[in-house]
Amino acid sequence: MAVVLLPRSIKPVSLFISLVGTMLGFALTASPAMALSLNPDAASPGVKDGNTLHWILFIVIVVVIVVVNLAILRAARPRTRHVKPSEGRSLSQVKLAIGLGVAALAIFVVATVFSDKSREIPAVNATPVAGQLKGQPLEIEATGSQWLWRFNYPNGAFSYRRLVVPAGVTVQLDLVSTDVVHGWNVPELTGKAQAVPGKTNYVYFRADDPGTYTSRSSVFSGQGYDTMEIEVQVVSPDEYEAAIERLKTDIQTAQDKVEAEFAESKRKTEIGAAAGKKMEAEINKDQIESADSE
Amino acid sequence: MSRTTSYPQTMPPTRPEVSSAGPKARPARWIELSTSADHKDISRVLMGAAFGSVFLAALQLLLMRVQLAVPENVFLKGVTFDRLLSLYGETSIFLVALPLIIGLLYYVVPLQIGSRGTAIPRIGQIGLWLFIFGGILLYGSLLFTPPEAGINPLPPFSDATFTPNNGVDVWIGSTGMITLGLLMISIDLLTTLHTLRAPGMAWRRAPLFTWAGAIVTWLFAVIGPIFLAAITMLLIDRIYNGGFFSGDEGGSPILWQHFSYIFFTGVYMAIAVSILAAIGEIVETFTGRELPRKATTRAFLAIAIVGTLAWTQNMMTAPIGSGWKYFGMLASLALIVPFGLIFYNLISTVSSSDFHMRAPLRFALGALSLASIGLAAEIAQSTIAVATQLSETYDAWAATQFTLVGFVLFGGFAAVTYWYPKITGHQINEDRAAKSFGLMFVGALVATLPLFLAGVSGQVTDSYRYFAYEDLTVYNVIAAVGTLMLFVGIILAVGNLIKSRTEEPVATPDPYRANSLEWLALSPPPAHNFDVLPDVRSTRPMRDVREAINRRDAVDAEAEVTAQPVA
Repeated sequence: MAVVLLPRSIKPVSLFISLVGTMLGFALTASPAMALSLNPDAASPGVKDGNTLHWILFIVIVVVIVVVNLAILRAARPRTRHVKPSEGRSLSQVKLAIGLGVAALAIFVVATVFSDKSREIPAVNATPVAGQLKGQPLEIEATGSQWLWRFNYPNGAFSYRRLVVPAGVTVQLDLVSTDVVHGWNVPELTGKAQAVPGKTNYVYFRADDPGTYTSRSSVFSGQGYDTMEIEVQVVSPDEYEAAIERLKTDIQTAQDKVEAEFAESKRKTEIGAAAGKKMEAEINKDQIESADSE
Repeated sequence: MSRTTSYPQTMPPTRPEVSSAGPKARPARWIELSTSADHKDISRVLMGAAFGSVFLAALQLLLMRVQLAVPENVFLKGVTFDRLLSLYGETSIFLVALPLIIGLLYYVVPLQIGSRGTAIPRIGQIGLWLFIFGGILLYGSLLFTPPEAGINPLPPFSDATFTPNNGVDVWIGSTGMITLGLLMISIDLLTTLHTLRAPGMAWRRAPLFTWAGAIVTWLFAVIGPIFLAAITMLLIDRIYNGGFFSGDEGGSPILWQHFSYIFFTGVYMAIAVSILAAIGEIVETFTGRELPRKATTRAFLAIAIVGTLAWTQNMMTAPIGSGWKYFGMLASLALIVPFGLIFYNLISTVSSSDFHMRAPLRFALGALSLASIGLAAEIAQSTIAVATQLSETYDAWAATQFTLVGFVLFGGFAAVTYWYPKITGHQINEDRAAKSFGLMFVGALVATLPLFLAGVSGQVTDSYRYFAYEDLTVYNVIAAVGTLMLFVGIILAVGNLIKSRTEEPVATPDPYRANSLEWLALSPPPAHNFDVLPDVRSTRPMRDVREAINRRDAVDAEAEVTAQPVA
């Protein structure tokens, strides 16, 4: 039986293009230097572990993709000689399954180790900052609402959109939401975590050096979703204490100002009312007097 | 023996209006299609809807990518983008992927098991009409309020408080009708599979695609009702303030994530199983070699069960217990075994065989190539530490897009071109198929690979714009160009399916010399599928039929030779 091997698969330009495209694709995927620069700069211990795991898995993934696709290209090769059916597929199914199972288990163990490490609460700083209990992380509440984050500090101060945290201090963020599900997302410090109404989610981080990290929410929450920005400002502990004190006094000043204005307007209203009453009384008196004189 | 001959020919007909009318004229094709309860007609409508919708889904994706090509683009308004995103999510899953795989299974599997029809055809017919009305409701909503709460409308955002317009109700109504419809079709197929197999068609002799049919329909019978219950709860929440998914009345928004991700993960696995089984059939036919039956079917079963149990892989950032997350990670990574087994068997079988490269095999290899990239990327997505960084970014989107474009588009075209001669009675145009394949393949790579890099640099999904300082422009420009190529490729491929129906030569019943019973039927099969059915004695009933015919011909020829009068 004369087998005409692959009479049409070489000729169409499309196969050539697809080969070139695959190669280009691998060049893109497998350029590790490029992807390395794209991983977030780890500014907190947990993120460092996450990045390491991503690196290990990235290599595994690239190897898997390259091996599988080279095998597919080899399978689709033009046949120049008759292939004996005994070639290839020599592994027994059981051995193959055991091998794959061992590989999966190995990935699971490595992933568990690094995931555990990345979820660990970073070591708590020895000298607590203002509002921090000794041996406990500094607790700050982050509240998502459409489409603004609000941060409540331990001393009663609060801020919108911008979170100020001290460097070298372990911070516990209590993520809550007042309306819909919001996605807390600061790649350099914490990664992502959902803020779900009715339930508190926790993230822990310890920013080692001062700096500013900007990001945006990651769970679709409606029409203002694209503007729901997050800015984390890491400052030294002294600056942090000063900053939240300033926030508190600013808020207190604003509050005092509002109350003063309210009191002033109330006082003015009262004076006006008193004057009005007096005038009314005088008019009444005049009328009574005139009535009396008549 | 027949009644006409026993009738006295001279006797006048007692009811002349009956005997003189002749056979009833065949109704128009569209009337036949829309009133038929035949599984083949229902499947043709389903697959037609899938290939019509793939154009819509690709157009929606293209518009979104054009909007995202430039930072702070003003091509689309935010709300328009949200609507396109929601439409794209529903169209690609409920109007393309699901009807395509259910349609293929519903067409081919009854033929493969040698059945003359389905067990409860009217159930299938109701299913088709529910599906059609679901699709009409979704696209009819463009006239008033289309859905705009995202691909997966998470409560409380999808509650009446935060999305008071009818968009989410449309989403609930249309996905509900489509899911219920496809569930009914699945149940018809499931019943057929268990009751109407041809004599001798034991499960151990059933073809791979029949196995996939059983696994997928059972899986759908499990996950479909979960989804229907969830959307009903959401509807009660919206209309009657039910409190299933709101924290302050005893429910929880997390509950919706569990329900919906069980369904969507199950759908993902159903797509993978049915398309891999179709690729398995293609590989077996074109190489003439059998895949290891037991290992492959067990791997399908493992994908369906373990894969669906891995739903918490999507919830790595939600406030749920660590146990859920580690379980999701373990179940996702366990999928390496069945997927690896199947990929190895398919690729090594092709590699070690002689074959003619034809359109179905080319699309099948393309599907394996693209899906391998997506599935490998899912390894990183399923670990807790990496998912904390990369979920909800375009990295996760790209992994899903590679797998689904690979399986649904390429695998779908592979399966449809493979069974094209059976379904239409015509051959497929190989040249046009090869060209559209090349364009689609390069387009899919160019459209999706840059999204991995955009995702790692932090681009979040579902947002209608990003800002210039985020340095994401170059990836999004490349992705937009790739999506345009993919779009044109899809149009060419669908155009080929339409044009080949009239322009190509008529196909014989068994054009590939394949092994399963659907090739015994005529192309296209008549309403009753088979005139005669052989006893199934092996996993390759059609080869047995061909051998029996050859033997009979040899005997006849011999008889002819011996019958020659000796001169």
